Amino acid sequence: MAHAESDTADLGKASAPGGRMNFWGALLQNGAYQTLSNTLFKTQRRQFVMLASLPLLWIVFANLGPIVEMFWIGFLDSYPPKVGYEPKLTFANWAAFFQDRVFIVPFFRTLAFSLIFTVITLLITYPVAYFLAKHVKRKNQLLFLLLLLIPFWVGEIVRTYAIMILLGNNGAVNLVLKSLGLIDRPIPFMYTGFSLGVGIIYLTALYMLLPLYSALEKIPDNYLEAAADLGAGAWTRFRRITLPLSKEGIASGCTLVFLISTGYYATPVLLGGPRSTVFAETIAGFFHVAGDQWPMGAAFSSIMLIATLAATGIFLKLMGRGGKGMIR
Amino acid sequence: MTKLVINRRHLLKTGAAGTGLLAAPAYLRSTAARASGVVNVWTYANFIPDDFKAEFEKETGIQIQIRLVDDQGKQFNLLAAEAPDPSTDIVTVAGHRFLQFISSDLLAPLDTDRLKNWGNINPIYSESDWATINGNKWGAPILSGMEILAYNTEVVSEDEVKSWDVLFSEKYSGQTAYTIQDMMSVVMLYKGYDGNMVAYMDDPEKAAEIVGEARDFLIEKKPLVRKYYDAGAEVQQMFINQDITLAHAWNGPIAKLITDGFPVDMTIPKEGTYGFVYTLNIANNAPNADNAYKLLDALLANSEVGARMTQSSGFISTYKGADQYLSDIEKKASSFTEEELAGLQFFRAEANELKYKLVDPAVEEIKAA
Amino acid sequence: MTRHTRIVMSVVYWAFVIYLFVPLALMVTMGFKDSKFIGFPIRAWTFDWYATVMQDTQVLAVFGYSMAIAVSTTVLSLIIGTWMATFLGPNMFRGKAIVFALACLPAVIPGIISAIALRIFARLIDIEPGMLAIILGHTVHNVPFVALVVMARLSTQPKSHIEAARDLGADSIVAFFRVTLPYLKPALIGAGIFCMLLSFDDFVRAFFLGGYQPTLPVLIFAKLRSGMSPEINAISTIVLIMTAILGLWAERSMRRLNKGS
Repeated sequence: MAHAESDTADLGKASAPGGRMNFWGALLQNGAYQTLSNTLFKTQRRQFVMLASLPLLWIVFANLGPIVEMFWIGFLDSYPPKVGYEPKLTFANWAAFFQDRVFIVPFFRTLAFSLIFTVITLLITYPVAYFLAKHVKRKNQLLFLLLLLIPFWVGEIVRTYAIMILLGNNGAVNLVLKSLGLIDRPIPFMYTGFSLGVGIIYLTALYMLLPLYSALEKIPDNYLEAAADLGAGAWTRFRRITLPLSKEGIASGCTLVFLISTGYYATPVLLGGPRSTVFAETIAGFFHVAGDQWPMGAAFSSIMLIATLAATGIFLKLMGRGGKGMIR
Repeated sequence: MTKLVINRRHLLKTGAAGTGLLAAPAYLRSTAARASGVVNVWTYANFIPDDFKAEFEKETGIQIQIRLVDDQGKQFNLLAAEAPDPSTDIVTVAGHRFLQFISSDLLAPLDTDRLKNWGNINPIYSESDWATINGNKWGAPILSGMEILAYNTEVVSEDEVKSWDVLFSEKYSGQTAYTIQDMMSVVMLYKGYDGNMVAYMDDPEKAAEIVGEARDFLIEKKPLVRKYYDAGAEVQQMFINQDITLAHAWNGPIAKLITDGFPVDMTIPKEGTYGFVYTLNIANNAPNADNAYKLLDALLANSEVGARMTQSSGFISTYKGADQYLSDIEKKASSFTEEELAGLQFFRAEANELKYKLVDPAVEEIKAA
Repeated sequence: MTRHTRIVMSVVYWAFVIYLFVPLALMVTMGFKDSKFIGFPIRAWTFDWYATVMQDTQVLAVFGYSMAIAVSTTVLSLIIGTWMATFLGPNMFRGKAIVFALACLPAVIPGIISAIALRIFARLIDIEPGMLAIILGHTVHNVPFVALVVMARLSTQPKSHIEAARDLGADSIVAFFRVTLPYLKPALIGAGIFCMLLSFDDFVRAFFLGGYQPTLPVLIFAKLRSGMSPEINAISTIVLIMTAILGLWAERSMRRLNKGS
């Protein structure tokens, strides 16, 4: 990619001879800073170590700490510790998952749901993001984006209850349809795949929208104009230019939505029907209802974790180059 | 293994300090749980009225710190995660979950001699047999609840709800809701068995057979149900939205619907039902146990507090004389006929280990079916 | 851009806006219902719920507390997440895939598990439950999101950018702040909004890691126990108005800042 960028244009100012000396210029001239900079970044290797320091520390202490704890609890036969009982190591919690279709069904259902919701969310939000990035005046874009974000500041639960009174048998939609004379008996929207979809897409749209927007926003307009000049139709332009250039936005949006939607709990519980139990519900059951089954819950969470990560890995591989940008 | 744990703990501490996590100024830290003039309470919203709180604080100089909780499971998990040094003095537990808290060593036995107002509790609750476990009392009863059959009075007639049968009838297909966990106990009772499973403690095979029967029944009836729900607010909303006309529910949430004027009523069907009691308990190793006793005693002294708890939750107050502070409709919503009450028995915890080992997987199977 | 596609796109956009705002409008409306429960039919209207909430100092305190947590979390997550992305994005080293997977872990753990694990962990490293613990919990959860979004943007940054900066005498730090950071701005704004929302709407971590001061979702859950009352809608509406004002103010000041530089 060799497109010229306006971003580099102001760089010259930093050290332009005779130009106004700004903070960064002054910093670079500062002796103490130069020494520090030289010690820290003398070699490639040192620079790498510096860059790696905080992320690795963070991963080890903040990410691994709790997760190791979780895996570890998954191998115990009793947790939290009971008085006068030394917990023993066991594989039973892990084995239980594979022995019973009771657990496997919601597990695969969750993966399938997440996949479907990811695709639907992508299809719905792509035009929205495109409109924002390409049709709205640049100075208004943030405003339009903020407009879309307003509803998300209402908590998940309050919003979900609003969806209930929207879709209920005596809800807004049915009341409107009835008053228009279109129906005699209310349509049971609630507790179906439909109500679940309405609720979930509300939650996932944002995570898709923002990466898509930031990817589309930086496709230079003149690419599309040039293609149009060369006689490419709208579809061709989309397929040959817009889509490939927004690939990394699609990849990160889908990754986000997929990862997050596997963990949804409250919305599926409140809006789903008797046949849409998700795995997070199964896991939460071990903590909420039967409070003394932490090890089982921990083992199942670990399994879910490994599965979603694997699925994401496969997805990013499939995305090819777009994915390679993320994991090389 | 201990060695590894200690090493890791040391490592983590050093690491955290290194990343500056501990460098936070003192004011960012929460108020210490262990302070002389404080009592910490985990309870539901509006259970301790503001004016009572203000008066108690003025009279005793003890500050009440309330932490709002919203269900039993989370409270248990939080307390378990904090053990053995809880940040609370008083927790609010549903009676039939006692055993879980007790066997995990999270509660301290209650010394009722230190509560001079213990006698203000209706003895049906304070002296009942389920309340004594391992020879000790474990909490002060505050509210009484039960599993009931709720129905929309505009659609379902009073004659139809004499039995739990109606919940599984074709006539109301797609208009019913229940919580599976609780329904398992009710179905066992409905089928003529002991839903507490105390009778089968020596006969695990029989117990498994009964749970299997109840499970298969609910799986068979699954096509008729609209929704398996979890929370009281959900069943209220389903009645309001007319998504359902019949449900198994708890008396509290339904009583609140009745007092607000919705065409809903509730009953205890002829096969009977199970009741439970909310209690205030002192946490094991509570940082301010003495203050906790003072607060409990003050709470029990005032039957208006009992009425407030009823108004907030819809459940029936265990206080003698709480009635006088309730309006007529609130009284109506929290009372049942003698005939109905004849079928009421309490959940018992003795056989819980046996029971939930069987019921929990059955619940999963019903959901997955 | 043909007129045709432009019209289709704007129809989709506004349809989407309607989809988002209808539940919102219902929620606001229900705050005026004279009943203890939301839902149809609405027989009588009242301002009482709003009046009650306005007089309740607790709600304002809770809003401030949640906001403070959200802002601190966002700042921390942006710093750590961006650092993580600049480390994982361009560099090649052995075991990178594993480090990447580990970095993403907290985003995929179900809330309840991570909350309890963090609660035990916080005790291990001697952090008392309260604001600090919640901020830590939220930051752990948010960093992967920031890292993912920033890495996506970073992967499209032309190498020539940094090289040009280096040619002009900037060292790594200055090149990062002068060239990379401005390039990352859209991604950072997006990621920042994520973090704010994730933190502001989180119940389960706030519940387990919090102390006696409730956050907004914790307060709402506690109130929900006695029924979905219009009071909760009134609280949410007022919170919404306050956040909308804050958001507009932030957008404005950002604009002014842009003009200034």
